[in-house]
Amino acid sequence: MSNDAATLLVGASTDFLRNFSPFNRMEAEALGFLAERAVLAFHARGSEILTPESGVPTHFHIVQRGKIQARQAGQATVTEYTSLTLGPGECFPIGAISARRPSTNAYVAVEDSFCFQISADDFLHLMQISPVFHLFCTQYIASLLSQSRQQLQSSFAQRAAEQQTMTTALGKLIKQDPVFVTPDTPTRSALERMSELHLGCMVVVDAERHPVGILTQSDLLPRVILAGFDLARPIGELMTANPHQLPASASAYDAVLEMATHGVRHLLVVDSESVLLGVVSERDLFSLQRISLRQIRAGIDNAADIAALQRASKDIRQLALNLIAQGIGAEQLTQFISALNDALTRRIITLAREHHDLVGIDFAWFAFGSEGRHEQTLSTDQDNGIIFRCADAKQVKETRTRLVEFARTVNEDLAACGFPLCKGNIMASNPELCLTLDEWKSRFGDWIREPDPQALLNASIFFDFRVLYGNERFGDQLRSALNKGAKGNSAFLRMMAANALKVMPPLGRIRDFVVEEDGTIDLKKSGARLFVDVARILALRTGVESSSTVQRLRQGSNKIGMSPEEVSAIIDGFNFIQLLRLRSQHLETEHDSADDNRIDPESLNELDRRILKEAFRQARKLQLRLKLDYQL
Amino acid sequence: MSWLSRLKIARGNQPPLSAEAERALEAWQALAEAGHEQPHFESRYIVLNTEATGLDLERDRLLAVGAIAIDGGLLHPRDAYHAQLEPSPGDALAGLLAFVGRSPLVVFNATFNRTILERAFARQLGFTPEFLWIDLYFLLPSLFPERLERPGRLADWMAAFEIETFQRHHALGDAWAIAQLFLAAQSRALSLAVTNPRALAEHAQAYRQKLKV
Repeated sequence: MSNDAATLLVGASTDFLRNFSPFNRMEAEALGFLAERAVLAFHARGSEILTPESGVPTHFHIVQRGKIQARQAGQATVTEYTSLTLGPGECFPIGAISARRPSTNAYVAVEDSFCFQISADDFLHLMQISPVFHLFCTQYIASLLSQSRQQLQSSFAQRAAEQQTMTTALGKLIKQDPVFVTPDTPTRSALERMSELHLGCMVVVDAERHPVGILTQSDLLPRVILAGFDLARPIGELMTANPHQLPASASAYDAVLEMATHGVRHLLVVDSESVLLGVVSERDLFSLQRISLRQIRAGIDNAADIAALQRASKDIRQLALNLIAQGIGAEQLTQFISALNDALTRRIITLAREHHDLVGIDFAWFAFGSEGRHEQTLSTDQDNGIIFRCADAKQVKETRTRLVEFARTVNEDLAACGFPLCKGNIMASNPELCLTLDEWKSRFGDWIREPDPQALLNASIFFDFRVLYGNERFGDQLRSALNKGAKGNSAFLRMMAANALKVMPPLGRIRDFVVEEDGTIDLKKSGARLFVDVARILALRTGVESSSTVQRLRQGSNKIGMSPEEVSAIIDGFNFIQLLRLRSQHLETEHDSADDNRIDPESLNELDRRILKEAFRQARKLQLRLKLDYQL
Repeated sequence: MSWLSRLKIARGNQPPLSAEAERALEAWQALAEAGHEQPHFESRYIVLNTEATGLDLERDRLLAVGAIAIDGGLLHPRDAYHAQLEPSPGDALAGLLAFVGRSPLVVFNATFNRTILERAFARQLGFTPEFLWIDLYFLLPSLFPERLERPGRLADWMAAFEIETFQRHHALGDAWAIAQLFLAAQSRALSLAVTNPRALAEHAQAYRQKLKV
């Protein structure tokens, strides 16, 4: 008899639900399932039914009577509405409960309201048994996503506008028409014009207005005054030939990078025919920046001792933090860090050479791992080695001893400047990593022939080498030997591929992310490395010379027939993960705690979380491609 | 003499109860008395409603009973009871007792509902079970004076809360409306620090006393 009562009341709930979409279209069995499990709750006016703080929602609600307001509560505005009122037949939350994450909205009863509710498990079961309901929920989420994409684009546009100085084409930064002279102009008249017009430099051009040289104010003291240069002689004899130049379409980022790399403060801007358009000075680019690249660069180049380099190292860090705060992209940022760290390392090496007699030794200093890939984050420990040549085989041992002594000083000085010693002893002072070209070749050859787990691990570190100081040719020779050896050994590449596929992107089937026990994701281990590993294999397979992941992906992927759109999506994904790594290091440094690449996805705002998810999807796509290619 | 055999004597010449009803009565008798002092969210209330031949307590007979459980502040449509008294009123009421247990009973207008039910219990089962009765007739105006200042009819309260039901003047149909009113009442009571069934019953009782003055 009590069964009749239940039938009657469940029937009443069913009748109510049938008045509304999607329930009116739902399969009879699914609707029955919902009505049987729906219990009715009362929510007094002003009471909160669900908030982001309540964590993963435990119930799905359908308004029976009254008004429920959804208020945007996250850091980022995800949807176009800031509040939305739900009436009878409308339901919440859909996205949060589907993804099993806390709601981004706060749901508050704005009238005394009644809501049916079912448990989260019943909700998920309902999605499974009812194609209609499933479609309803996914379409709802999709419409949220498209709203958020639009939001994303407009916020990017806004951000880009704020940073116009960094993204603008150089052509737009030119403040005045170029002032120039020809090489045969007497120096005196050229200097008079500089003085008249308050110019920091004078450009020298040929008859077609192609720049052939430059004279800057800082050249005057050493070259003119101290040297007692005869001002009647032509400026062509005094100028610096082959001045640094960039096309007008290059960005301010490019200009800053060029200045940092070469230690100059003026760049000539030319059109597509190399005709001079104007001059961009460091001041034009960084008028508002407190620590300028040039200052750091000068600090490094003029450093007389390690103490001065330690200061420069701190400045690099500070500059990187400023740039992060300005919202600069990951690729450019790591390039800055890399360029400045390179300069720092070179200076350390130069200083060390003063205390070590290396006369007559032909060698190069290698950077491995992330430094080798130009992907250093703010605190990466040292990974380096030495390659050298010895004409006389009998001298190898003695030469190695001298280089190792020298390398020890460099390693210690690097440590003093904020690059921690490598725990795995991957350092040039390790005699095992101070080798001749032939020794390196045979070492690499061994790993390729017998790819045991240790060899594969080594490959992932050492194959990302680049020459940071010394004879560049060693690097080219080793690279071409490596590419040849790897290309001819598909078994090795297949093993590398299998190894690279061992770590999966931390994407969940039901949840957004699979997190580790402490609720975090390791952005290095299960993020960046997925891209890095595949890019390395791609480079070996297609013979790409670059050690940078982005370059490897860009150059290698078109050879295996991936579309440029596909590749840029993948690169965007990689860059986003790198940016998150830098950003979390940034924050952690301010809290003075050790950075460890870990991020709690819950701490990200909704947008970043969605982009991160997309980035992991790109990693999965890349891995899938590898899987197909090697039939794994 | 066992409780059951005493019961049989008390029921006199009524038709015999089914074996199921006898088991239900025995089980009910064995239940511990409830303290009614646990908070709402841990309480199981039974909203009870009757359907009679009319509203004259002297002449009219009970026709049907409807009951809905409100457990932990939620109305569970599947946890409900409905029975016509004919053809076996004893079985219908025994079934009701089995459904209710010792839960506090929520009714709209206890004067009528409680009286007609207790008489039916006495006549059909030979005893009057003890319950904590909560009368919404007095409780609602005491909790929601802004909606209705004095006791009103069920239809007035339904209109005040814009509550509807699938079938009016049906034991279960009205119980469905009363149950929703009680959900609202529970929420308001909690905000007034009236936190358990006993306090709720006393709150309604106090309002009733005040009306008499």
